[in-house]
Amino acid sequence: MKVAVCVKHAIDETELKIDSSGSPQLRGAASKMSTFDKNAVEEALRLKSVHTGEVAIFTVGTPEAKKTMKEALAMGADRGVLITADPMSMETSRTAELLAAALKNGGPYDLILCSEGSSDVYSGLVPPMLGEKLGLPYVGYVRKIEATGQTARLERALEDSIEVIEARFPLVASVVSEINEPRYPTLIQIMQAGKKPLQEVTPEALVPGLSPSPSLVTGMKAQAMARKKVVFEGAPDETAKKLLDALASEGVLPR
Amino acid sequence: MTLEIAEGKSPILAIYSAEHRRLMEMLHPAGHQEYSEMLASLGVFLEEEILPISPKLDTGEVKIAGPRKKLMHQGICQIPFPREYGGLGLPFSVYASAIEMLGTADASICLSVEIHNAVAEGLNRFASVNQKGKYLPSLLSGKSLASFTLTEPASGSDAGSMATVAEKKGGEYSLNGSKMFITNAGEADLYLVFAKTRRGPSCFIVEAPNRGLTFGEDLKKLGMKGSRTSEVILSDCRVPEENLVGEEGKGADYAKEILHGARIIVAAMNVGIAQIAYEKSLGYSQDRKAFGKPIAEFQLIREKIANMKTEISAGRLLYLYASKIKEAGGDFASEASQAKVFATEMSLRVCDEAIQIHGGYGYTTDELHRHWRDARLLTIGEGTSEVLRMLIARREMARSQ
Repeated sequence: MKVAVCVKHAIDETELKIDSSGSPQLRGAASKMSTFDKNAVEEALRLKSVHTGEVAIFTVGTPEAKKTMKEALAMGADRGVLITADPMSMETSRTAELLAAALKNGGPYDLILCSEGSSDVYSGLVPPMLGEKLGLPYVGYVRKIEATGQTARLERALEDSIEVIEARFPLVASVVSEINEPRYPTLIQIMQAGKKPLQEVTPEALVPGLSPSPSLVTGMKAQAMARKKVVFEGAPDETAKKLLDALASEGVLPR
Repeated sequence: MTLEIAEGKSPILAIYSAEHRRLMEMLHPAGHQEYSEMLASLGVFLEEEILPISPKLDTGEVKIAGPRKKLMHQGICQIPFPREYGGLGLPFSVYASAIEMLGTADASICLSVEIHNAVAEGLNRFASVNQKGKYLPSLLSGKSLASFTLTEPASGSDAGSMATVAEKKGGEYSLNGSKMFITNAGEADLYLVFAKTRRGPSCFIVEAPNRGLTFGEDLKKLGMKGSRTSEVILSDCRVPEENLVGEEGKGADYAKEILHGARIIVAAMNVGIAQIAYEKSLGYSQDRKAFGKPIAEFQLIREKIANMKTEISAGRLLYLYASKIKEAGGDFASEASQAKVFATEMSLRVCDEAIQIHGGYGYTTDELHRHWRDARLLTIGEGTSEVLRMLIARREMARSQ
């Protein structure tokens, strides 16, 4: 089974600071492999351990993204392809186009895995766009994958239900974090990861004449959330009543 | 009330990313990038898997075996050992830095792993090729656990006065005696036991289970409560003669050599313990208000913070300096002792100040005073401060004569 995993070297949202103007400080911010991408890599490795085959990692990123690539290789992936461009400076459709071109070059793959969304911007657009550009079925928000021969049985975690889908390979799927518990690379795996093949390609080499991004991100603001921090004290039935009154006076509940 | 580390502030990784990276770069111009990546990755594991359960190891809600096994699987024990036995062949200072991070995450697991690796170090230095091939791979991968079995009820640093004896009978040695304050006792698969033959103190590998090997009750300790410590009783404990390590009569020298290296590691562990107490104090002093402002605004608290930080940095440099001499093959006995004396006493001072800064909450919260309780062991274990000062002074006297 040949599995490709698309990952993102993302801003570490837990370390992100907001400056006085309310903008997140992106320059020099700490970065890491996008949180749920680890689940996608883990699932690929799990499938490989059952069905044998190969796991290849694809990313669009700056040279800094080699860290994420190396982490995925240390977890156990076989090789990596780094498309050297800054995903923050282009629209999602361009990222998907570049990934699709790289996937065609190295393929065909039986399964292309992504996570449900990146932990920094969380648009969740790349996986369905990949399905579209590659002409493959796309199954999103998957919490379980069982592969038998030419078909896969996938469980989708929807808000209030679980949908079970059967699809033929090849296909594109995005996974949710509950699908597995990602492994930690061991120290020896980190040492060995440096020796695994890592190919770097430029956007121009992949898609000659790639048109510029149709939209540009000109700025980002942090969403400010004002909290009232009201504490009700007393016995549970008293505090429950106070809470109801307060919610009603805020207009959240009908009086 | 925040006695927890503030969210998003990772004590292990935060300190790692800034200071260790710079130090690694200075110590290892060629390999520092890889070492830093490995240590940072280990930091993520410690942060997510060990740090959160650390309070529960202290109270006994979580037992040590599971998390310790997981940690060993990550490869922490492999770092300084040769590749032919499953090690990573990396510098000792990288291992010491990893131990510092583990000390920050949890002192009890750190102690258990440090003792285990002291045995591996002993075997690597003094055991035969056959013995190394037989035991080292499973020790380094964490498949088996080791225990360093030297101290007795009536003999500590003066290994020459030990009362445990080993008598050769046919192709076997019979060991008789009692060993005290033994870390990992009852849990370990391999005991490195020191006992006297007619030629003097000697060193033996005792594999568990063994009919002649039994254990006392788990001792009620002040700190390091996550680790197991008890008496080891040897009663006609028979081991094949090929389990003798090195030569008969040289056991005291081997023990001394093993402990010199272990003292660097104990120093690193204490820098780690001090670090977590310091991080908590730093956070608390900026949150807690008195007379209308955070106590961190008061000069007397600032003095404490400044002293804690300075002393931690000094302890770190001392253990790295001793590590570097060891890596270069030099005589590091005095520097290792200096590092251990300073770092263990320093971490006690830092953990004590941490309680002071936290006031009543410091005295009444396990989560805070356990660092002091953990640190308290280490001016005693693996060479008391007094014995180590004797060693340092003796070296200095000899040098000036």
